[in-house]
Amino acid sequence: MSTASDTRVRTKAVRGKAQRGASAGQPGKTRRSGRERQPWLPWVFLAPTIVGMGIFTVLPIIASVALAFFRWDIISAPSFVGFDNFAEVVQDPTVRVSFLNTILFVVVAVALQLGLALGLAIMVQEKLPAWLRVFFRSAFFFPLILSAASVSIFMRYLFNEQFGVVNWLLSLVGIPAVPWLTTPGGSAAVVILVYVWQNFGFSFLLFIGGLASIPVETYEAASLDGATGWRKHVHVTLPLLSPTTLVASVMAIINALQVFDQPFVLTRGGPGDSTRTAVMVIFESAFQRLEFGQASAIGVILTLIIMAITAAQFRLSKRFVFYQ
Amino acid sequence: MQGSTGKLREISRRTALGALGAGIVGTTVASWPRLTGTDIPGRGDNSLSIAIMGTAADAAARQKVVDAFAKVHPDIKVKVQAIQAVDWKDFFTKILTMVAAGTPPDVVYVATEGAQLFAEKLAHPLDEYLRRDAAHMKEYFEDVHPSLVEAFMYKGSLFQLPIDWNAANMYYNTKALQQAGLERPADDWNHLDFRNTLAAMRKARPTDFTPYYWTNRLFGGVVPWLYANDTSFLKETKSSGGRWLWDSFYANDPTRGMRSGGYQWLEPNANDPKVFESFDFLRGLVKDGLGVRPEEGGGNSLVGLFASNRIGTTPAGGYWVQGLSEAGMKQDDYDVQFFPRWRTQRHQFGTAGYAIMKTAKDKDAAWEWVKFSSSLEAMQIVFPTPNTTPARRSMVNEQLYAGKGPRHWKVFYDTLDRFPSTGPIPAPPQQAAVETALMKNVSLAVSGDERQLKSALDSLQRDLEFALRRQP
Repeated sequence: MSTASDTRVRTKAVRGKAQRGASAGQPGKTRRSGRERQPWLPWVFLAPTIVGMGIFTVLPIIASVALAFFRWDIISAPSFVGFDNFAEVVQDPTVRVSFLNTILFVVVAVALQLGLALGLAIMVQEKLPAWLRVFFRSAFFFPLILSAASVSIFMRYLFNEQFGVVNWLLSLVGIPAVPWLTTPGGSAAVVILVYVWQNFGFSFLLFIGGLASIPVETYEAASLDGATGWRKHVHVTLPLLSPTTLVASVMAIINALQVFDQPFVLTRGGPGDSTRTAVMVIFESAFQRLEFGQASAIGVILTLIIMAITAAQFRLSKRFVFYQ
Repeated sequence: MQGSTGKLREISRRTALGALGAGIVGTTVASWPRLTGTDIPGRGDNSLSIAIMGTAADAAARQKVVDAFAKVHPDIKVKVQAIQAVDWKDFFTKILTMVAAGTPPDVVYVATEGAQLFAEKLAHPLDEYLRRDAAHMKEYFEDVHPSLVEAFMYKGSLFQLPIDWNAANMYYNTKALQQAGLERPADDWNHLDFRNTLAAMRKARPTDFTPYYWTNRLFGGVVPWLYANDTSFLKETKSSGGRWLWDSFYANDPTRGMRSGGYQWLEPNANDPKVFESFDFLRGLVKDGLGVRPEEGGGNSLVGLFASNRIGTTPAGGYWVQGLSEAGMKQDDYDVQFFPRWRTQRHQFGTAGYAIMKTAKDKDAAWEWVKFSSSLEAMQIVFPTPNTTPARRSMVNEQLYAGKGPRHWKVFYDTLDRFPSTGPIPAPPQQAAVETALMKNVSLAVSGDERQLKSALDSLQRDLEFALRRQP
């Protein structure tokens, strides 16, 4: 319903537009849009970002890909070796194991991370009073802002076989000391545990946001149709949360594929190669063995894997993600 | 009014663009000086840049030496740059990063772990300077054991002068020993005596106590046991050459004949039966609850654990004394003994000293620093407390350990005199890869059954072959 004043304003605006149009129609005095008059203008504003990304992102990526075809130890001049680095990397059993470890880590850690985040998000959103919700949102996010290296050093003390608090607590209930960091199974479990504990907060916040955006009416309609709590989550919450789940899973997988800090500080990749990851091997190749070409080759392979997995996720999302 | 508003909008846009341009230019101009090398220590003023591993506090602690050096060489400006690192491997990585960035230091304090990497790729030999200043350096070599010097020989040339060092001796908690009803072990105790000692300690203190705590590192881990058993995980050979040094400075030393042009580790040796035997001994200690299963790279908490009386024995060198004192251990709370004998009683040691970089701007000035740092005056300034073992025999005395050190502190330097075949940490130029290969297989080797041990040593052999594949 329009008012008299609305009509006046609209009339004035239309008139103004007509006047500007008339003026624009005069020969030699064509009034063009900013973009037409100054086509370089957008580039001026984009320049800082383009230059920054070019110098700090694009050029290093190009240099890294190029380096994968050279043998270089920092000290001597690089020499072109073609695909030799890729061939050596593929044949190296440590590299193969590290990629397998990384994939297994991603499967377990991401499943735990998303499952825990979703479960806690539903619990916090539905079962807790508002003031407690605020507390838990902060509490669950808090580990994410801590330094992964500091957390890992601290956890290393907690999980020490002889003098760690964890084994001391277990001993109180009669459980013998567990060699957490010195057996393949124990060390893998601790690395996953520490990683999930520190990272699930981000997925948790995404799910909290996703849950808040689901209309209450949908649940009311489901209730009217006789859906109970569990069914509501399966048939309403999960489908409507699928866009959030897609974003959370893509980010969680990309992060998990790049895991480094926790295994490096907690176990140094051991015992054996049991917790050695792809990024650890990149670090070791470059900065310990001084084989920067091989490190770049591993980096290129890892990047291609990340791109392939992410593309597959988006392709699958067409079938499994429901937008309201 | 409308027109004026439109004009204002146009002007403000131009003004904004102008301001943006001016801002970019201004920022570039303002920040330009920061992009030069003047902010990098030692650059821009021709100072001699010295890199040491440590914190800013460590660099500040060296200021007294820098001041003393300035009195002797007022024409040479020196800047000490402390680089924080978790271990020597990490420190060398950071030095290499500086090399890659085009800002290498002139002189670097390098430990045995990196000695051959630097000698092969980065460092300048000291031979010509030593020949030139032989008369001056005579007093230094008379005070320093030749084993330490030989560790810095590489292919017949000397690349560093040892400043400090440490052998892997055996520390023990005197109270734990007394509780077990034992006396101080004999100087020539063997590995079985050692095992019996651990068993007695375990019996006396069944819980919250570890008779033997050891770490999974190149120094003080499995290597001292391999040396004692007359073997190593790498085949050890020696290069020819170096006679010029031994004949000049150690002409009267009875061990002169066994000295060489430097150590070489060219092939893996993990499939040697004596290596298996040594690992099996450690596996037995772990299995019987006498020794810990070592964590990779562990050791940061070791001083605290030992000082809290929860560890019976552990391998370490003189570098522990100051830390234990600060952690509250009294002189009689602990003591030190030689590492147990097996087929031999050869010990493992690590040493450190300054290396002049090939890229040093003024090598003569760098040599003056190296020479001054090896003087008694400089070393007394640098080592006022026993947080390492000075390379000069004359400094390892009652005064250094008074009120802090173990009763048998003489064990530290006697290790070299009594066991002259005592050798350095096996660290070829590919040390980082070699250390990684060793560390990753040790835990598995000592944690399972005999079959797992065999498998871990096979894996170690393969990994070492891979690590050594590229001979520099």
